[in-house]
Amino acid sequence: MGAEEALTSSCNGSVENPVGGSSNPPAQKKKRNLPGTPDPEAEVIALSPKTLMATNRFLCEICGKGFQRDQNLQLHRRGHNLPWKLKQRTNKEVRKRVYVCPEKTCVHHHPSRALGDLTGIKKHFCRKHGEKKWKCEKCSKRYAVQSDWKAHSKTCGTKEYKCDCGTIFSRRDSFITHRAFCDALAEETARVNAVSSISNLTSGNYHLMGNPLGPNMAQHFSSIFKPISSNDHLTRQGHSLWMSQGGAPHFSEAMAGNNIQEIHQLGSVTSSGSIFRDPLAVPCSNTPPSDHYQFNWPVFGNKISSNIAHEELTSTLALPLSNVKEAAAAASQLVSVPSLYSTPQQKSHQTASANMSATALLQKAAQIGATSTDPSFLGSFKVQDGNNKFCGLYGSSPISTNPASDMEKIKKRSNSHSKSASNVLC
Amino acid sequence: MRFEFSRGSSQRGDRFFPSHQQSNDQVAAIDMQSNSSATTNKNQPQTSHTSTSRSSDSGEACGGGNKWASKLLSECARAISEKDSSKIHHLLWMLNELASPYGDCDQKLASYFLQALFCKATDSGQRCFKTLATVAEKSHSFDSARKLILKFQEVSPWTTFGHVASNGAILEALDGESKLHIIDISNTFCTQWPTLLEALATRNDETPRLKLTVVVTAGIVKSVMKEVGQRMEKFARLMGVPFEFNVISGLNHIGELTKEGLGVREDEAVAINCVGALRRVEVDERSSVIQLLRSLSPRVVTIVEEEADFSSSRYDFVRCFEECLRFYTLYFEMLEESFVPTSNERLMLERESSRNIVRVLACDEENGGGECERRERGIHWSGRLREAFSPVGFSDDVVDDVRALLKRYKSGWALVLAQGDNHESGIYLTWKEEPVVWASAWKP
Repeated sequence: MGAEEALTSSCNGSVENPVGGSSNPPAQKKKRNLPGTPDPEAEVIALSPKTLMATNRFLCEICGKGFQRDQNLQLHRRGHNLPWKLKQRTNKEVRKRVYVCPEKTCVHHHPSRALGDLTGIKKHFCRKHGEKKWKCEKCSKRYAVQSDWKAHSKTCGTKEYKCDCGTIFSRRDSFITHRAFCDALAEETARVNAVSSISNLTSGNYHLMGNPLGPNMAQHFSSIFKPISSNDHLTRQGHSLWMSQGGAPHFSEAMAGNNIQEIHQLGSVTSSGSIFRDPLAVPCSNTPPSDHYQFNWPVFGNKISSNIAHEELTSTLALPLSNVKEAAAAASQLVSVPSLYSTPQQKSHQTASANMSATALLQKAAQIGATSTDPSFLGSFKVQDGNNKFCGLYGSSPISTNPASDMEKIKKRSNSHSKSASNVLC
Repeated sequence: MRFEFSRGSSQRGDRFFPSHQQSNDQVAAIDMQSNSSATTNKNQPQTSHTSTSRSSDSGEACGGGNKWASKLLSECARAISEKDSSKIHHLLWMLNELASPYGDCDQKLASYFLQALFCKATDSGQRCFKTLATVAEKSHSFDSARKLILKFQEVSPWTTFGHVASNGAILEALDGESKLHIIDISNTFCTQWPTLLEALATRNDETPRLKLTVVVTAGIVKSVMKEVGQRMEKFARLMGVPFEFNVISGLNHIGELTKEGLGVREDEAVAINCVGALRRVEVDERSSVIQLLRSLSPRVVTIVEEEADFSSSRYDFVRCFEECLRFYTLYFEMLEESFVPTSNERLMLERESSRNIVRVLACDEENGGGECERRERGIHWSGRLREAFSPVGFSDDVVDDVRALLKRYKSGWALVLAQGDNHESGIYLTWKEEPVVWASAWKP
């Protein structure tokens, strides 16, 4: 009780009265409040910057070793055969204490956003408002707390990040960007939507198209930015949910069903469209012949040599696939897909530590997302393309594994990831 | 003027020189120089056009030490401005023999700049540009655009430099806000936003809502943006960030934007992000567009532009040409050293550049449509922006992040802070000590 109280009174701007009627009521969760939303009945304490930065205030008189808390010092004193005394928790009701940040511009300066424990506010102040003296050589990241810096240096540059598509990255930022655009992300959701379409489509005459993808449940909702080295022990409850729903055959059917519609759609697109016409031919027909144009530019392509033609063709081959996707999108949107994620199932997608906003998010997202099938789930059919564009897309990374074989994906991944955003921290 | 050329092999260039030695002495002198350097180039095996072999030859990234292309091209530009038709004819013909979009840097530059010079000489720039743009549009898809931009970002910090700086400034300016609205006018297909979404999800105690409104500039196909938007939405869901995505297209130019049209609401904290956007505005309209941005009451405006001046010289063909050549020589050299020699992505970027070169050099001003491409230097943009905004320096943390980013790429890249004294602001990305990209942040 002693030291901290004394300091409290010496601070300027300290608020010793309890905070009443806080604008942020504590969250519904029983366990702990969200950071910075204190109990309105708590006693608000404002410590000075000096106090917060001081780490080991409790010093042993024998050896001078410093400790952050008095209890630790007392235990240490036993080793010197000194009299020690552990303070008992007082029986009378102790009012909960919350701490505000002395930095005026800080969000946590206001009592309504005070932090709940002393160590927390100390760490916060030091990290956010302290001078960042410690710098990582490899990545230039700076730290105010030496232990943070040490911990970072151990792992900096050693992590590798693996996308579900199989590509490995050494740089986190390029991994994140890749992930956002990766077809593997799109496919997960497509599969999810495919499951939901099972319950809707009553007609049974889908012929099974050898679906190369299979039930790779493990990929969806990867928590993504966990580096490969850490094993993820949180399995998704949703994972088992989908497995129990019937596994591979249903998936193939569902996808095959969609495929048929898409292929029909594709037919109509082809007949109507100029899309599949050789784009190289287009400018030639558009360019009016004139005396000025005896000149043949390679980019126009009429007289291009064979190696050039090859390069043009690879880019044109991308063309029909993309339009197939668009056609697929058009077709799929005709299928009304009710939300698979009715409340009980959807909650199972959360891990224990997910906060409420993520849950609410998923609910909303599921309602929105379920009605529009992702067109690029047809990415799976790239494998049928002779050029194996699927491979080509991911093959460009220097350390990429060969993701071309979709059969690999059928193997269940042991490291299935959970979705919570909090797991992104690694 | 009537020009007839056949597409001959560039290797046969040297056999034509002897017969022209009697003509115009000045031209012959160039012939001799080009002859020797052209021969030297041609004698090298075609496959050895990697930076290592070239640098061992001449110490320079490409084109050997002779730079025959820039000499010929500059001569031709001068001839055009002087309207010396026989010289023009001759030089164009020579360039055509030597140029190739599949050769080394000099050959590529010769090829693409030749195209622009030809269009300038025959007054066919607009048509040529339209055709090139149509071809490009037809062969682009979401997949090709994605592959292109991601690969480019993997091998070069050209675009990621601006992204990291801008995201840092945006996060700091909007820190603590719960409703964010970012208006994105850029040409990088939203590759800037995944890392920002991740930061929003992890850095803050409470994840704010983000509304992203993308203004589509000309040249980006709308169907591509639709797919991009879907990916962004999915990713934001994955991150647990409440997210809304809108695309504004169908504008003839940025000046038509309105607060209502963008869906800006009073309770939102607005950030405007312009990457390669301002240069697409016609030069005479730039001041009013900046005022328009100001009228949206943003907390922060981030501007990223390439460092070149095609604007102040727009009525002086030769000067504009020289600057264009200087910039694109740097760019092509950078591309050559960053990508593998057989890269298809590099080829697509070079072709995109060729369209821009035609646009800048051979097209008239009054066309609008967001295709302008007349770059200005950072210091000039700063002058314009100061009329409505005041500069916000990048914090030490952000500068550190950018430096860390550059460390992850091949050597040759550096960050240079602008000198604050003569009204410069922002930071520059330099390639071999030449500033190439400028990034800055502004507030009302």
